[in-house]
Amino acid sequence: MEKSCSLLVHFDKSSPALANEIRESLESNDTPRKVEAMKKAVMLMLNGETIPQLFITIVRYVLPSEDHTIQKLLLLYLEIIDKTDAQGKILPEMILICQNLRNNLQHPNEYIRGVTLRFLSRLNEAELIEPLVHAIVTNLEHRHPFVRRNAILAVMAIYKLAQGDHLLPDAPELIEKILGKEQDLSAKRNAFLMLCNCAQDRAVSFLLTHAESVPGWGDLLQMVALELIRKVCRANPDGKGKFMKVILLLLQSHSTAVMYECSGTLVSLSSAPTAIRAAANCYCQLLLSQSDNNVKLIVLDRLQELKATHREIVVELIMDVLRALQSPNLDIRRKTLDIALDLITPRNIEEVVMTLKKEVVKTQNKELEKNAEYRQMLIQAIHSCAVKFPEVASTVVHLLMDFLGDTNLASALDVVCFVREIIETNPKLRESIITRLLDLFYQIPASRVCSCALWIIGEYCQSLPEIESAISAIKQCLGDLPFFTVAEDGEAADQSSASKAPAPTSKQTTSVGSKRPVVLADGTYASQTAAVEIALAVPVSLVAGTSTNLRTLLLTGDFFLGSVICGTLTKLVLRLEELQTSKVAVNKATADILLVMVSILRLGQSAVVAHPIDNDSVDRITQCIRVLTSPDEEARCIWLEKCRASFVKMITEKLRRDSEETRAKEQVARAQPDDLIDFYHLKSRKGMSQLELEDEVQTDLKRATGEFTKDSDDTKKLNRVLQLTGFSDPVYAEAYVTVHQYDIVLDVTVINRTKETLQNLCLELATMGDLKLVERPQNYTLAPDASKQIRANIKVSSTETGVIFGNIVYESTSALDRNVVVLNDIHIDIMDYISPASCPDVAFRNMWAEFEWENKVSISSSIEDVKQFLDHIVTSTNMKCLTPPSQLDGDCGFLAANLYAKSVFGEDALVNVSVEKMPDGKLSGFIRIRSKTQGIALSLGDKITLKQKA
Amino acid sequence: MVVLASSIINKSGKALVSRQFVDMTRIRIEGLLAAFPKLVGSGKQHTYVETENVRYVYQPMESLYLILVTNKQSNILEDLETLRLLSKLIPEYCTSLEEESVCKNGFKLIFAFDEVICQGHKEAVSASQVKEYMEMDSQEERMHRMMMQTKINETKDLMKKKANEIDKSKLDKTRPDRSGIISVPISFDNGYDLPSTGRSNGTFVADESKSKGRPTTAAAGSSKKGMQLGKGQKTSRIIESLKAEGEDIVEDVQAAAVVGLTASVPTDPIAVLVEEKITVQCKRDGGLESFDIQGTLSLVVQNRDDAFIRVQVENGANDGVQFKPHPNIDKDLFARESILGLKDSRRPFPTGTPTGILKWRMTSKDESLIPLNINCWPSISGGETYVSIEYEASQRFELQNVKITIPLPALRDPPTVNQVDGEWRYDSRRSVLEWSVVLIDNSNRNGAMEFVVPAADASVFFPIDVKFTATKTFCDLKVVSVLQVDGGNSVRFAGSTQLLADSYQVV
Repeated sequence: MEKSCSLLVHFDKSSPALANEIRESLESNDTPRKVEAMKKAVMLMLNGETIPQLFITIVRYVLPSEDHTIQKLLLLYLEIIDKTDAQGKILPEMILICQNLRNNLQHPNEYIRGVTLRFLSRLNEAELIEPLVHAIVTNLEHRHPFVRRNAILAVMAIYKLAQGDHLLPDAPELIEKILGKEQDLSAKRNAFLMLCNCAQDRAVSFLLTHAESVPGWGDLLQMVALELIRKVCRANPDGKGKFMKVILLLLQSHSTAVMYECSGTLVSLSSAPTAIRAAANCYCQLLLSQSDNNVKLIVLDRLQELKATHREIVVELIMDVLRALQSPNLDIRRKTLDIALDLITPRNIEEVVMTLKKEVVKTQNKELEKNAEYRQMLIQAIHSCAVKFPEVASTVVHLLMDFLGDTNLASALDVVCFVREIIETNPKLRESIITRLLDLFYQIPASRVCSCALWIIGEYCQSLPEIESAISAIKQCLGDLPFFTVAEDGEAADQSSASKAPAPTSKQTTSVGSKRPVVLADGTYASQTAAVEIALAVPVSLVAGTSTNLRTLLLTGDFFLGSVICGTLTKLVLRLEELQTSKVAVNKATADILLVMVSILRLGQSAVVAHPIDNDSVDRITQCIRVLTSPDEEARCIWLEKCRASFVKMITEKLRRDSEETRAKEQVARAQPDDLIDFYHLKSRKGMSQLELEDEVQTDLKRATGEFTKDSDDTKKLNRVLQLTGFSDPVYAEAYVTVHQYDIVLDVTVINRTKETLQNLCLELATMGDLKLVERPQNYTLAPDASKQIRANIKVSSTETGVIFGNIVYESTSALDRNVVVLNDIHIDIMDYISPASCPDVAFRNMWAEFEWENKVSISSSIEDVKQFLDHIVTSTNMKCLTPPSQLDGDCGFLAANLYAKSVFGEDALVNVSVEKMPDGKLSGFIRIRSKTQGIALSLGDKITLKQKA
Repeated sequence: MVVLASSIINKSGKALVSRQFVDMTRIRIEGLLAAFPKLVGSGKQHTYVETENVRYVYQPMESLYLILVTNKQSNILEDLETLRLLSKLIPEYCTSLEEESVCKNGFKLIFAFDEVICQGHKEAVSASQVKEYMEMDSQEERMHRMMMQTKINETKDLMKKKANEIDKSKLDKTRPDRSGIISVPISFDNGYDLPSTGRSNGTFVADESKSKGRPTTAAAGSSKKGMQLGKGQKTSRIIESLKAEGEDIVEDVQAAAVVGLTASVPTDPIAVLVEEKITVQCKRDGGLESFDIQGTLSLVVQNRDDAFIRVQVENGANDGVQFKPHPNIDKDLFARESILGLKDSRRPFPTGTPTGILKWRMTSKDESLIPLNINCWPSISGGETYVSIEYEASQRFELQNVKITIPLPALRDPPTVNQVDGEWRYDSRRSVLEWSVVLIDNSNRNGAMEFVVPAADASVFFPIDVKFTATKTFCDLKVVSVLQVDGGNSVRFAGSTQLLADSYQVV
């Protein structure tokens, strides 16, 4: 077991204090100088120096000091000093301090007594405490509460020691007596705590005899009472009936902390609906009454846990939970919505949606900074409500459609996606949605929203009047044709101002063009196209006078939208042909639309727009023209049916995936048939398993202090043994590397291979990368053929491949110089730090755009199948593939996928794989790695380069 | 609810000051703190971060963070309160919130952290209290120092005087005695030590009586039940419904427990207790320093039906005894007829708890009054000190459970007891010899003990502490009968009389 560390003070190594100087200062009579010297001594000790020579000086010159600060520092010094030798026996000189401690315990100054008692409560050595027991016990009845408080703690600490019941056999009785008459709250709490920890039955009987007065106790005491109840009931669940009344009384406490604790206790003790309801009510009350965001968030966490186990109860409180939406904090709102969405049932859906609608309307009224984001959240919430309960869709869809014209792209996009899904899954609403959409269409400012809306119009306008009004709406939005006139063009060229105007625009376009590549939704790694970019500056002369949305967008050069318009119009006309009986009308419409397409092409090729139309859009528009001029059945079928079919397929796929996920979630078995049963009392410290969660609090505490960590597979352990020197070297060394979360432990075995005694043998280590040695190396003496285990701790602070190198230095009798054996390097693998994780697509792309470090690795691999290559990368990098497998299906010779992982330090690692199969059968392409810090990008890149070959 | 550590770190995760309240390794805490800045997101409106194992509750302070590391079960409401208190305290001990200043005042901060959190639990302290604790300014210590100073001065005078005497005797005698000169500083040393313990004992006694006064009033206060009606109803409703749902609830826990605890209380409806506490301080060479008796008559009424009563006492010749009835007692009635009854005869006596209704006090300088005289004679002979000690009990009392505690110098082995009347026991931890006699009556009014210890100064064996009980009191007061207020019928009652040695010392 490693030594525990009770305090840290930063120590500036640049001004090292010498032991001699400290000693001189300590011997002086000048108090401030002594204080400084004591501080330095403590700091040196904290930094791993053991200065044993100072001890006697301190005993001689510091112990008798009357100064309070010196006495306190002395206690700190005694706290951190090694009081035992290597065998765990107490050092004989330690007895010297006992007399001083006893004097302190009888000191007229109550505070000196108090701090000494506090120090004693941190002391583990029974031999030191034994002579002081009597003095400690007398302090239990001191006049000042400060002394009593700490005396009780000291008694508790003593009684808890292994030999405690010999040192102070009557401690529980003593404390019980004190508890009865103590008035100071803290002291009383400590006394009760002592009984809880050391004599539970006494504590229980005290609690039960005072059950009536519990509400009048101070909050600290009530808290301990709850802790006791939890503890007792965990050990003996049958006895919980006795405590119910106490808990219910405490639930009405004035202190919010007690209320919170009480609810937690109630939930852990009982699963009766009333108890759970009382607890949940209490949480809701806290949620509304507390203004602190931290509290709200944590209470929401508790509600979430409660929801997992007792959903039906929490469902009743859904409206109370939703009231937390009034908080302006986005995190709180998000969490609240998350909880609420899981709680909706057919019975409360109406109410919930009503509230959500009200909130949506509220976001319109006042302009708050985070309003847009909040609105987006609400829209997503309503969306998922509507997916679960299609009947509510009708009530919300129209309200939401008002937001199509929203200037916030994200929320408008959400709305339009929502509409797209609803219109497919809810055929009854189609007609009304289409009418509404056509009415609102001119208000939509954003290109992406427009294209989605156009798609909807193209697919779902079924009846004749609908098609006709759709065509006219689009045409209206495009404005008068043609998009520009030669005169206008000439005018623009004439005007000096106009000729200047395009200049900055083109500049901007070039800057856009040079912008970093972007990962598309399907994972392809695209250079920037017009498809995503929306708001470009527009030549003033052109935009002036144009008020319609599509026209504005087209004039800014958004030709992707142009191709979408063409596609939509084509679909509409094809459908019109089927429905319209009058050939004349059909031909007229076809002609009109051909004109539109041609105008768009013309515009694209003219010099008016800042940059010419891209080839993809040209192809697409030409294709539309061809379909309209020379229709054939196959093309018609593709345009009118296949498009829709693939969308339907996507929607069903999505629903299926969702339901599978929920099913998988539900199917997680509580316990496998052959699971081990762990007995708390028999378990080892290491190797936690699921069932140990029984004793949550204990485990929680132990994990927090790092007392045990999960054990890895034993078979893999041997792989980590590294040979550090050769067999023929005078000193043989090998290391076994264990990687915990934040630290690396090297267990180095050193064997003396010579026939001489090696003196001052020292393992000197140095590190490269973000690694830091914790302790200074020590010197050892090694007999012939003897071996020694040396342990070195190395701290890691970020995910990065690190290298540890070093040498072993020793002196032997034959040679006067120090001999040096250089060690092999130890490479710390980044894979130990990252673990697969998943994140939503949007977040991935945001991070991609945001992160500064990119490492681009070109692919050269012996693997010839793209899918196989991706699998290989995924397994070798320990990342998760975010691109769904359905998108990776098929054999088209190229593939793009996004991978994601998170490090134990919470850093994100993003990888994009874009690979193509060349005609010669080889794979080519790039793997791009992005991260916030250089370390991950570099290390992961190295790793991938290395693994590609294999 | 456990705070693992409270720390101040800078933005890069360097721990400037950190105090851990539970056992954890250095590498662990440094790792936790170093990881923290990476976990803190920007633009968040809450100030806590949770990881798999721990929760950080923090507060940014200019370029630094003040952090509480807690486990995840910890009570957030309480932790926030702790954090607020700490953040209020830090500016008190650091002039500016910069790295340098925090490092410089690191130890002060650690001391302050210690005052706010003990063993991971929050203390009930306010910022001003912490300041007071940190200042460590103690009235008692100042008094102590002053006393020491006067003692030292006195002893110096004494030394001078002695030196003069010795000079004189040198002149007188032909052979000067050298050991006499050496013995002076020795006695000086002892005179130095002794008063401090004596003094602190004195304060203990005073405190005890003070703190004993309080609990009874507190208990009386909490027994008022009228306040809880409303709450009780709600709770009982919940209990009812819990029962309906199959939770098994034991409602009358308290009653059962009380019966278990109070089983020893007499079954008589009314009990009258007469108790006297005696405080005596004798000088070691005879003479009485103080002699003080405090008596109470208290009444325990079990049932409310029996609470309308009066107590008839018989008051013998009691010189120098001052009686003081409870303010609610009719004083005239007591003076006239020696009857203790409430002023308002319609009111009952409180039930269930012992209620003091009459107090008396008596002090005296008369040495013949004290029940037990202790005589202690240490004498040095060779390398050993022989201590013979004897007691002499007055005829008036029969003393029970007499325990005489004699302090000894620090010893390796138990002392050799040559002769003893009664029993003896050596307590090595407290380093005292306990001489106990179960009963002192006419058969053994005198007793003696002799023991041997390695040579030590005579003053080591003082103060001798004596404990005993007796069934007779100094004050001649007897409860004759207990009468009902209306009707005057006498009621059955149990009476007991006791004399206790509260602090009985030979100094």
